Amino acid sequence: MATSEPPNDHSQWLRPQRLSIGRWWKSGEPLIWLNATAVAVCIVAVLGLLGLIAVKGLAHFWPSDVLTIEYDRGFDQTKVAGEVVQRESISRGRFLEAYPDKSDIEGATVARWMVKSGNRRVNAPDFRWIFEHDILSLEREDEIVVFERAEWGNAYGTLATINETGKPAITESLWDELQARIKRTNQLRRQAEKIQNRFIERINHQFEKLRLQERRRALKGNYDIADLNAQREELNDRYIHQEGRLREVQSEMERDSVEVRIADGRITTIQLSDIIRAWQPNSMSYLEKFGHWTASMWIFLSEDSREANTEGGVFPALFGTVLMVLLMSVMVTPFGVVAALYLREYAKQGPFVQLIRIAVNNLAGVPSIVYGVFGLGFFVYLIGGSIDDLFFKAAQPAPTFGTPGLIWASLTLALLTVPVVIVSTEEGLTRIPAALREGSLALGATKAETMFKVILPMASPSILTGIILAIARAAGEVAPLMLVGVVKLAPTLPIDGNFPFLHLDRKFMHLGFHIYDVGFQSPNVDAARPLVFATALLLVVIIVGLNLSAITLRNRLEARYRGVLL
Amino acid sequence: MTRGVVAAGGVAVICAIALIMGYLVWVVVPMLMPASIQHLQSNAFDVEDVLNVSSHDTFESIEFIRSNGTVEFRDSESLEVLKQTEISPDPFLSVKHVFPNEDMFVALTDKQELLFFSLTHRVRFDGDVRSVENDSEVLFEGSTVALEDSEDYDVYREDTRLLVASLLPNGEIKVFEFDDIDNNFELEDPREATVSTWGETPRETEILLGPRGRWLYQFDSSTGEYRLVNTASIRRVRVEAEGSFSSNRNRFAHVTPVLGRYSLLVADDSGGLRHWSLGPSANGTDFQLIREFSYRSPIKKVITENRRKGFLAVDQAGTGHLGYTTSSRTLTSISMGNVPRLIAFSPRADRLVSVGETTDVYKVSNKHPEVSWGAFWGRVWFEGYGEPEHTWQSSSADTDFEPKFSLVPLLFGTIKAAFYTMLFATPLAIMGAIYTAMFMSPAMRRWIKPGIEIMAALPTVILGFLAGLWLAPIVESHLTSVFLVVFVLPIGVLICAFLTTLLPNRVSGRFDGWFAALSVPILVVLAYFIFANDAAISHFFFGMDAKTWLYEEAGVDYDQRNALVIGIAMGLAVIPVIFSISEDAIYGVPQHLVRGSLALGATRWQTLVRVVLLTASPGIFSAVMIGLGRAVGETMIVLMATGNTPIMDVNIFEGMRTFAANIAVEMPESEVGSTHFRILFLTAFVLFVLTFALNTIAEVVRQKLRKRYGNL
Repeated sequence: MATSEPPNDHSQWLRPQRLSIGRWWKSGEPLIWLNATAVAVCIVAVLGLLGLIAVKGLAHFWPSDVLTIEYDRGFDQTKVAGEVVQRESISRGRFLEAYPDKSDIEGATVARWMVKSGNRRVNAPDFRWIFEHDILSLEREDEIVVFERAEWGNAYGTLATINETGKPAITESLWDELQARIKRTNQLRRQAEKIQNRFIERINHQFEKLRLQERRRALKGNYDIADLNAQREELNDRYIHQEGRLREVQSEMERDSVEVRIADGRITTIQLSDIIRAWQPNSMSYLEKFGHWTASMWIFLSEDSREANTEGGVFPALFGTVLMVLLMSVMVTPFGVVAALYLREYAKQGPFVQLIRIAVNNLAGVPSIVYGVFGLGFFVYLIGGSIDDLFFKAAQPAPTFGTPGLIWASLTLALLTVPVVIVSTEEGLTRIPAALREGSLALGATKAETMFKVILPMASPSILTGIILAIARAAGEVAPLMLVGVVKLAPTLPIDGNFPFLHLDRKFMHLGFHIYDVGFQSPNVDAARPLVFATALLLVVIIVGLNLSAITLRNRLEARYRGVLL
Repeated sequence: MTRGVVAAGGVAVICAIALIMGYLVWVVVPMLMPASIQHLQSNAFDVEDVLNVSSHDTFESIEFIRSNGTVEFRDSESLEVLKQTEISPDPFLSVKHVFPNEDMFVALTDKQELLFFSLTHRVRFDGDVRSVENDSEVLFEGSTVALEDSEDYDVYREDTRLLVASLLPNGEIKVFEFDDIDNNFELEDPREATVSTWGETPRETEILLGPRGRWLYQFDSSTGEYRLVNTASIRRVRVEAEGSFSSNRNRFAHVTPVLGRYSLLVADDSGGLRHWSLGPSANGTDFQLIREFSYRSPIKKVITENRRKGFLAVDQAGTGHLGYTTSSRTLTSISMGNVPRLIAFSPRADRLVSVGETTDVYKVSNKHPEVSWGAFWGRVWFEGYGEPEHTWQSSSADTDFEPKFSLVPLLFGTIKAAFYTMLFATPLAIMGAIYTAMFMSPAMRRWIKPGIEIMAALPTVILGFLAGLWLAPIVESHLTSVFLVVFVLPIGVLICAFLTTLLPNRVSGRFDGWFAALSVPILVVLAYFIFANDAAISHFFFGMDAKTWLYEEAGVDYDQRNALVIGIAMGLAVIPVIFSISEDAIYGVPQHLVRGSLALGATRWQTLVRVVLLTASPGIFSAVMIGLGRAVGETMIVLMATGNTPIMDVNIFEGMRTFAANIAVEMPESEVGSTHFRILFLTAFVLFVLTFALNTIAEVVRQKLRKRYGNL
């Protein structure tokens, strides 16, 4: 903001000489210290927030040790294996409120650990508080295995046997065998996904197209659908074929299972098709842990989410955010730049233009939810509804464009961020000296040539800055998107292999909304919280990165043109 | 050419911006349009023996039930007979709707038996040609309920429960309850209960079954006295309250129940129409007078809408007054000739059918009767409430629900959130700006300013998430510390500051400009110490948990997601805005002013307060305005870090619901074009105008300031 101000160094003032406390107070120096404290609070807040998100977000991927804890539950003693996710102390008063009969516990505070013990199906709950004074013994068993499962969260235990079609097959070198077989099921899973996504989904898409075609004919009064039925038959055959293939792969996946001994001695069976990864954190070296950590991060970035978004990756949300922002910038850039050019280069400067300038500036301060309301009413219901009536009669009553979707979200955010681009571009245009313009015109260039060859290139740093700031703002907005197109779980990405490839009418997922949804609407908050921190970290990295790149870019391009500007 | 394109594009963008405001207004305006009734047509055919007139959802046909046990379906436009069916060979004495069903009726036959039937309208598609097949259908296999000389009766049915109340000639009321009924099976084995006679002398009374079949109302049609009978459980039917609808001034005339039958419209003989509602009173549930309408001449007939709390009251002169209870409005009037014998609203309340000497159809356009200045901003006495209140409750699962659209709790919540935010953010941001602009070493300033500004780019959803899931539990368990640090941190810093003055000048002189960096470790250590020992500290002050103390000793409720958390979280979002703008303003104060002041012997502090701040004050003011604008409209933080309950409580430890959060919560579920939808647009418009105004003020002030700096 303040890059061009003259150096204005107030700090070199003389400090008063050493004083008594009374005179020191009177001199006002303490108040200056207090002002310094305010800055310090702000710094601590910024660094603290970023640090908190970074630490909690990154820690989510670290394979922490699994402790086997034997503790007293009050009515009996039990053993549980799990990761300690949080340690805190609560006041004695609060403790006694919950356990009035335990007044023999000493100390002003009582320490407790939150242990993620997994095994949700056989040994619920998967997150439990254990009081430190209840713990009887702690162990760190090397052989303990953490299973990341496709459903029901993590499982913890030691390997007993590996079964093949229900019968014990392997009892020796279990760990290596397990890894090999997990690899096999993962390959099969990928194959199944391929069949599902590539073939079955395409067939479904064609079915839907046939349905619409039939409807379109019916609207015209043509009820002859023999050819459609023939096509449908053929599709159905293909569908049955693919479904058979899918079922074959799935039954292959079901072959193996593993018997796991959980901490309290019970044995439970886990299908290998449920297992995504397995690792032995207690026997991993730091290097191995680091490898696991980076692999986990990659999975987080590249895979779909599972279990109502509380596990797995955020790829669809990341994809949705990037796509929406790209579409938005495609729309916002020409309009923002043209509006700025008009205001600065073409419109007659006067009170009216000044008024518009203030209005544009102030639009940046209008709450984003207002844009959301506008987008929902105007874009979705009015324009989208009209488009449906005109072009998508066959699909009705199901709305195509008359419902929140990608295009409307991008448009709404384009409207929201257009002031940013206008203001930034105008700032760049003001800085171009009139001499350059006049020089260009004097050399015989037309006004259009001057604009394209001289003015726009010179204003490009500001334009780019504006676009980057707009993108940063758009990437972080959630409130308006909740009204115009974001959903918690979109079944398909807005881009796929079916014509027209980019589906502007589809709903999409978004990182910011993901945070809101998983953090606040999820049934299992304890399980979801680390993931939310990781998502928040990703979003912060994207946005702070964009802002920093805007600053750097501006500085670099400014340096290039400095010679001309001065 | 280029010129044209650029100009067109530029104007288009500016128009798009104007469109936002225009569109919001365009959606809001229909809400303010007056209601109207228009006479469509009059038709003369024999209607003398018509007992009931009703119509179907889409108003394609009107049904006339006649005393000979037949029903006539007539076209709603031409009033030609579409179909005529016989419901029963026995003549009907009277026909009523089975409360609360729209299409289900009960008829009293001349054999003194109740016969149940429904009128059906099946929509058929033949290709794309739509047709409606009207029919009547006798329910329960034609089984009837025998009443034996009933003076009055009423029927309630919901799902599988059927309740029949009958007033016997001896003054007793018989109540029959049928359980597990099904339209296709006979009615059998009712449980019975009897309500004893009312007083010694026989009275002339009427009865009505009330909401959910839980109540039975009995009125004396000459005196206006009433009895309230509890019928929630058939085994324990008992009289709950007695009272009178008439007063000395007004003589009772007749009663009409409002949708849901939680409340009644009681007409008197002098043009008054009083609205009585069931509600909590000193001695249990009783009727309370919640509002009054008054008209020129006595009201002779009142009908109520099927899906809203509206009514039409026809006075002696035959003028129909269209009114709405919640908003206490009489919307419009129309002359209907003389008082019709039968009138009925269409289910959507967009048509009226009256049957008198002729049959008349009226068009009613009355989309948003709930709206009035008083309903938005005044206290409204809602059905079932003990007193008039400001309440926002826009929807409910019940179909007979009364929407409560008071904007006051939302406005209050918005102001409350903004207030606590500004309380936290303004001092920190302005003081920080003062230090950064005036005293900080340039090397440090180069980093600090962008550093704090980058916080403005932090998505609010992240701040909200941290506030709701991380900060709120910490604040809850370390309440004492949160308040203690406000006092201890400055004192700690001051002590350390004084200690630095004891150092040799050569050393301490170097600190100058780095105070802020020096304070950081002091702050962190002190805050950590306080928070780590919170339990001991609160024990020292209160002898118990701070939260327990609040609740038990101070009687203050504590909500985990409260205004304190909002203040801090939203404060963090607002600080960078205020900081950045006021820092610019202070930094821009011309150097010669500062130097002059210092040269005249003023201390740094005196110069700051008397010269610099005075000059920069408009800039700081505009910074605060812009910050306030942001606090007012912020959505995600409030949505995530409060409980979003629309309560009105200044308590810092309670939550609130703001306009912005309310839109985010309710907009996706709101029916397009409904009053609720338009009210949400209205609140969006209010937010738009409010923030636009705040920003404009700020901008104008800032431009003036820029000019002033230029002159200096």
